Amino acid sequence: MKRRVGKFVLALIGPIAMIVILSMPIGLLYGGLGGVIQPIGGVFDVGRGVSMPYGQSVKIPGLNAHVEVVFDRWGIPHIYAESVHDAFSVLGYLHARERLFQMVLQNYFAAGRLGEVVGREAVSSDKFYRTIGLARAARATYQWYLDNAEHNTDVAYALELVDAEVAGVNAFIDSMTSETTPIEFKLLGFTPEHWTPVDIFLWAKMMSWSLSGSIYDLYRQWIRQTIGNDTMYNELFPDLIPYTVPIIPEQTDLSLEEFPNAPGGFPATSVPPRKTGDVTAQTPTIDLTKLRLSIDIFGKEAGAFGYHELLGSNNWVVDGVKSTTGHPILANDPHLPLQAPSLWYEAHIVVPGVLDVMGVTFPGLPGVVLGHTAKTAWGFTNVGADVLDIFVEQLNPSNPDQYMYNGAYRDFEIVDETILVKGGSSIPYEVKWSVHGPCIDSVVSTYDLDQDINPSLAMNWTGLGVTHELMSLAMLNKADNLQEYFEAVYWWDSPPQNIVFADDAGNIAMTVAGRFPVRTGYTGEYPVIALNDSVGMTSSIPYAFNPRSVNPSQHYLQSANQRPIDPSTYRYDVLGPFDDGYRGRRIDYLLSHNPSVTVDDMKRFQADSLDVSAQELVPYVISAWNNAGDGNTTAQAAVNWLSGWDYVMETNSPAPTLWRYLLSAMQHETFDELRSINTGLLLSRTPVLEKFIKENNMYYFDDHTTSGTVETRDMILVRALHRALDNMASDLGKDSSTWNYGNHHSVYIDHLARLTHIGGGPHRGDQYTLNAAGEWRVTFGPSWRIVADMGNVAQSYGVYPGGQSGNPFSSHWSDLFDLWYAYKEETGQYGYHTMYFYVSPNSFRDADAARTMIAGSTTFTP
Amino acid sequence: MAILKEGFKDVGVVPALIIVIVLAIALQLTGAWVTMLVAGAFGGLFTRRHLRAFLAGFLGVGVAWSIIFLYLISTTPVIAISGFFIGLLGLSGNLGVIVIVIAIIIGALLGGFGGVMGRAVLELVESRGIRSIETEEARSQSQLKP
Repeated sequence: MKRRVGKFVLALIGPIAMIVILSMPIGLLYGGLGGVIQPIGGVFDVGRGVSMPYGQSVKIPGLNAHVEVVFDRWGIPHIYAESVHDAFSVLGYLHARERLFQMVLQNYFAAGRLGEVVGREAVSSDKFYRTIGLARAARATYQWYLDNAEHNTDVAYALELVDAEVAGVNAFIDSMTSETTPIEFKLLGFTPEHWTPVDIFLWAKMMSWSLSGSIYDLYRQWIRQTIGNDTMYNELFPDLIPYTVPIIPEQTDLSLEEFPNAPGGFPATSVPPRKTGDVTAQTPTIDLTKLRLSIDIFGKEAGAFGYHELLGSNNWVVDGVKSTTGHPILANDPHLPLQAPSLWYEAHIVVPGVLDVMGVTFPGLPGVVLGHTAKTAWGFTNVGADVLDIFVEQLNPSNPDQYMYNGAYRDFEIVDETILVKGGSSIPYEVKWSVHGPCIDSVVSTYDLDQDINPSLAMNWTGLGVTHELMSLAMLNKADNLQEYFEAVYWWDSPPQNIVFADDAGNIAMTVAGRFPVRTGYTGEYPVIALNDSVGMTSSIPYAFNPRSVNPSQHYLQSANQRPIDPSTYRYDVLGPFDDGYRGRRIDYLLSHNPSVTVDDMKRFQADSLDVSAQELVPYVISAWNNAGDGNTTAQAAVNWLSGWDYVMETNSPAPTLWRYLLSAMQHETFDELRSINTGLLLSRTPVLEKFIKENNMYYFDDHTTSGTVETRDMILVRALHRALDNMASDLGKDSSTWNYGNHHSVYIDHLARLTHIGGGPHRGDQYTLNAAGEWRVTFGPSWRIVADMGNVAQSYGVYPGGQSGNPFSSHWSDLFDLWYAYKEETGQYGYHTMYFYVSPNSFRDADAARTMIAGSTTFTP
Repeated sequence: MAILKEGFKDVGVVPALIIVIVLAIALQLTGAWVTMLVAGAFGGLFTRRHLRAFLAGFLGVGVAWSIIFLYLISTTPVIAISGFFIGLLGLSGNLGVIVIVIAIIIGALLGGFGGVMGRAVLELVESRGIRSIETEEARSQSQLKP
């Protein structure tokens, strides 16, 4: 008997060992190998769920009627519903079906809960997002909608969309099978929770943070303190970028009686305050190391869109006078991170008599963000205005949980933000809030670097309260004319966006939309001590007076993140920094020099890769070489490349490669005044360099690190040429035949969890071209391209770099990327798909006699 | 215990193998890999040697998973998925088929160990049964003594 018991025990060793080994987390496989590697229920059967069940019906509880969805050849759904509730429930279901992992990951990121998904490595990110309080702001915003829905039909309508989207997402989560569970969840061993309305507002907050939340105040302060010379600081880092062509050519005010408040209904000041030169508040000195650390932590956690320097966008519109069609033509391409799955999900939503809108949506959010209706089209670019200020609270020396305000010490609100980590552990964490906002130095241990041993840097950001962007979008999706556009954009308070518009009545418009603070007692440029409520963002610019242009006499409008309006013609301060302005200068040139613009022209403009900075500066380098060159044969060959170059950043030439190295070398050689102080300082901005070169600024061209020699502009430019060639030889190898731009400049789109990628091929353009492609390994760029012809809006064109499906094994994982990437020399255009725009499933099917447009259809039932 | 012995006769490796294959396919459809131990154990009940029990479980689950994989390969992009998976380990995606082979081996091992476990359970139960029968017989005999 004992022998048999012994045998039995021995026989258990194998099974137990297998269970233990196959269940233990291995690297990314938090759920263990066993659940992943089995044929059914593991990763392999996700291939069975890649396609929509065409020809079948899918149940979504809560629908009021049947909804037919026609999927076109690109997997883009055309949703035909009888009510907005049904339409957006189905949109939510489709968002979840195709992008649930993306939605969950993004929202856990924004909520500071990423550690619950991926473990301890996300704790620093979680601390950061808990500190800035996006989830808290999302909850407050949702509560505002609940509180106001009863009295305001527009709020109620927006809330209806939110609830419908949530219902649709949860219908999918509840129906999820092994085949439809995203592979990423299987690898991570993660089960998603139900979606909630707060999740929707949370991702909207993250969008807002990513586009407008940045700490220019600390950055300016660090540069200014590091340089220690205000004259030099103002010359090298001006708020007004030279040569900028502003967005607004002619200001159009609306009626203050109709719109007395600021965007979003916030209090406004119709009489502009005195200019910001009148400063009463004190700018404190902050330890440089502490400043740098704070900047670094913000740089590391720069939001969903990464570094602000790489963000950008273009939009422009011509009216019927300037177009060959006699109707406005609108173009837009927002430059956001190129990620897989894409930030965007394209959809067409039809509710007879209510909605007929097509364009790109954010997965998880109800509404088309960029697109067109049957009568209107619109597009966004980021304004980039500074709407975030840092207030240095004066702590009570005997109680660091109190700060001075309005003559008395008051308590910080201390919020418990305990962070949960995958596996069950938790990390205690608290954030202090003053009247100005959360203390952002809670997140970084800088206390021992100066006299402050407790958090005291409070962040006041216009996006960190109740905001109304979802309501604005809901209204914009229904807008049929200019007046409804004005009414919709009134609710767009955060993040500030340049919203271009065109309609079938021939109107064109551009609104620099968003809530711009009116500051009193300080400029908003630097951290400030505000001991009372007379100093701060005390009001806002009235919506009626927001920078805006409607049907201008030049017959076109354009924006590319540059300064919105000439400050000498505008009564309020709108604080930058704004873009360097080269893309704006280029599109302004193209539109102003083209008397009759076609749809094809618009596509060519979006692909345009001429670098205006090169066009402006290269002639000076060639001239310098001719005047002061040393006869070096390698340099002469390089100058020959530049002499024959058309300034287009093409992949098959070494000149664009040289230009990027040369520009960097010119900044290095010119701004010795900065690099000799601190090598970490940004070497001014290119338009400043352009100004110095054009005006031959002898002070800055003299290299102050040398003695006994006064360098001239030509000497510096020749030195820069040599430096560029040395750096190229060092980085790229000495064989110049390998220096063609396309060998080194490629587009590479990573999966959100870095499991795979799209692309990897040579890529045109750079950060200053309309076809934006900064970095050598391009990860930012036109995340969506649209050209909408208001003369025939059903023949509009769109494309984004990715695909509708978030499943890497779907045929719609990267098919749109292939279009987006396909550049044709003969047309000078990238690929687009026609945005099929049929009012009913039957009319769509009738138009598809050749069966090339429709992939299939699915009916959703209650 | 006689019922146990009668119910799980030694049917030989091949029939036991077929039983495991059928059971493994059915249980795998639930998506719970641990059930492969059960499939193997069930096969082990129909053998009388540990090696045969292991073989029945190992080959049974191995064949069952191979059949399922063949079906998946013919209907879904399983090769691409396995290439993707092996790519996560830093290996070439072209070696993806190795993942499938490894998966089948892991499944087979589960079945094999399950088979041995099943056989051991049966032996344990049988021995307890024999022992109780022997005890019962001894008690009966002692009662018969004058």
